[in-house]
Amino acid sequence: MKMMGTRRWALAAVAVIAAGGLAACGGSDSDGTDQSSGGDALTTVTYWDPYPQYEDGSDWADYVAACAPDGMTLKRTAIPNGDILNELTTAVKEDNAPDVVLLDNPAVPDAAVSGLLATADDAGIDTEGPDANLAGPGTVDGTTYGVPIGANTLGLYYNDDILKQAGVDPASVTSWDGLDAALEKVTAAGAKGITFSGISGEEGTFQFLPWFWGAGADLEDPGSDAAVEAGQLLSDWIGKGYAPKSAITDNQSASWDLFLTGDYAFAENGSWFAKAASELDFKAVMIPIPSKDGGPAPVPTGGEFAVAPVHQDNAAAHYDAAQQVITCLVGQGNQVTTDDQLGYFAANGDERQQQIDSDPIWAPWADAITSAEGRTTDLGPDYTATSGAVSEAEQAALNAAGDADAVRKAFEQAAQQVG
Amino acid sequence: MDNVTEQRPTTTTWTEPGERATTVTRRRLPRLKPGTLAGIGFVAPLAVYLGAFYAYPLYENVSMSLHRFTRATYVTGDAPYAGSGVYREVLDSAQFWPTVVQTLTFVVVSLVFQYTIGLALAVFFERSFRLSAVLRGLFLVPWLLPIIVSATTWQWMMDADSGVINRLIGVFGVDPVWWLNSDNSLWAVIIANIWLGIPFNLVILYSGLQNIPTELYEAASIDGASRWRQFRHITFPLLKPVTAVTLLLGFVYTLKVVDIIWIMTTGTGKSQTLATWAYSMAFGKGSSAVIKYSEASVVGSILLLVALVMGFVYLAVQRRQEV
Repeated sequence: MKMMGTRRWALAAVAVIAAGGLAACGGSDSDGTDQSSGGDALTTVTYWDPYPQYEDGSDWADYVAACAPDGMTLKRTAIPNGDILNELTTAVKEDNAPDVVLLDNPAVPDAAVSGLLATADDAGIDTEGPDANLAGPGTVDGTTYGVPIGANTLGLYYNDDILKQAGVDPASVTSWDGLDAALEKVTAAGAKGITFSGISGEEGTFQFLPWFWGAGADLEDPGSDAAVEAGQLLSDWIGKGYAPKSAITDNQSASWDLFLTGDYAFAENGSWFAKAASELDFKAVMIPIPSKDGGPAPVPTGGEFAVAPVHQDNAAAHYDAAQQVITCLVGQGNQVTTDDQLGYFAANGDERQQQIDSDPIWAPWADAITSAEGRTTDLGPDYTATSGAVSEAEQAALNAAGDADAVRKAFEQAAQQVG
Repeated sequence: MDNVTEQRPTTTTWTEPGERATTVTRRRLPRLKPGTLAGIGFVAPLAVYLGAFYAYPLYENVSMSLHRFTRATYVTGDAPYAGSGVYREVLDSAQFWPTVVQTLTFVVVSLVFQYTIGLALAVFFERSFRLSAVLRGLFLVPWLLPIIVSATTWQWMMDADSGVINRLIGVFGVDPVWWLNSDNSLWAVIIANIWLGIPFNLVILYSGLQNIPTELYEAASIDGASRWRQFRHITFPLLKPVTAVTLLLGFVYTLKVVDIIWIMTTGTGKSQTLATWAYSMAFGKGSSAVIKYSEASVVGSILLLVALVMGFVYLAVQRRQEV
């Protein structure tokens, strides 16, 4: 009996071990980083960016791979922008974070206060160089966590053919009244008005901020009269049929696609489409987004920061590798090459000037990028919650299609929510 | 050392016939029948799998809902214990009951139409006619398409300004509907979800129909029963077990739907269900910009509980049918 029992136990043990072995395999697979070394020298430097549109073998992938420090290979993983912060959170928790991450700038303060990022000092990242307005989101409570790899921002594109036909002078579009008058004229002439992205979430807030700030509103108080006026402006566009109702679900690519149909007179969209806009069937020109009472509205900065996530094990080696990769990507003299790849502006004023001088399509954007404001500059990590509340209010305002009471209520609710 | 000496005799006696050992086992320790230990060994991988991939995540989910997690405490792992605090906050939040009502509407209306249309089609295809197999195959298309494709297509079709659905109803003089508007979005996603669920109902109910003996219909028609009476008194009662499975599975599937709603509306307005709400809080997307692990776990636990209750309801129904 004993022998049989032992034999059966042995069988059972084998089965358990087999299962355990499978589980162990799964564990090491999902690791995905180079932790095997455990010692001093890394052989692989891991790097994440939010550009899944650039596949392995693309120019961008090759360009980044060439930034591997001597004796190392660089492993790039592209993760959609909306997922990268969550992925990073899990990775830091497991201490297998990548060495370098390009993180969307409004997410940097959130990541920093959550303890995901090494300070620039610890990682040895050189933070000198970028303009203050563009570097802003990288500094939280006086501590700097990363450097902008470049920047982009928003502008107002117009379809010159439509404006000519409708007899609208683009020079008149310097205030909300001027814009509304232009919209009335072009729609009366049979064209469509304006496309923008009002999708729920950060992307919608990003597109709403030029109007919000342009009315004189402040993120500290999303329920102010000025905020309501901005909401009313966009709400009326839907109500009067100037803007497509799909704005409530359109992201920036979708709203750009609508502009590409050639039916729309205006489009609020990013500088990353400047190149594409110069190659269209119709003549598309960019002008600054007007503020309520005239003059260019403050626009938010877009673009990613190069940051080094926190490491526990062998941290010094990880930070050293990170610093080398980041220097290669954004160090003096390298920025313009990197940003040309991405269609971004260099974050350093002098380098940006060279970039603008070398390609005329950038010229109209020069002032916008110089005066652009960081989304998180005023609120730091609290921006995330306020952005969510503003996005919800904007959604409600667009859905109200002009109903003034509903618009006011939406922004008052946002103010309450942020408290 | 002790272990080695203990084990040695075992290995040497492995070749002995097992007959005697088993009889001894049976008499003294009835639990250790031959094969029991091997059985345990073979069950162990499954048990480990269930433990690692079901019990542990479930435990983590419940634990997370009882602690107050933020992004920072998620990383450090020292979230303060909150007891039922987070549950109370979620249940008291202004969003909770409207979301429950929307979820119920979504599930019940979807199921009623999916089942009715699925059953009608199944009965229709039962009378095999030319090309019926091909047509039946075509009805499976919604099931086979990736949801990103079908949901995006529905979004286009329901576009308020240039969507094909508004064009179509315009032909009949109906004013264009702003389908994805916050007030209408629940009905928009229900329509898309019904379309998505019909094939599943069709397939299961059709196979259920195959199991109903044709003699019953023959006897009924000799007795002069109309087709409607045949359906009411033969098809429908005999289809009950299949109906129970279809509705239960449909309920659980519909309850946890996120993808089609998310792609069409990102869960905005009235199209927010418990599942999309949990998703948006768990990942800090859509209406919930700030990540809310604990609140999402609470909603997740509630969803699990509802699904579990439905499982028991199904078992009860099944038992009653067997008796």
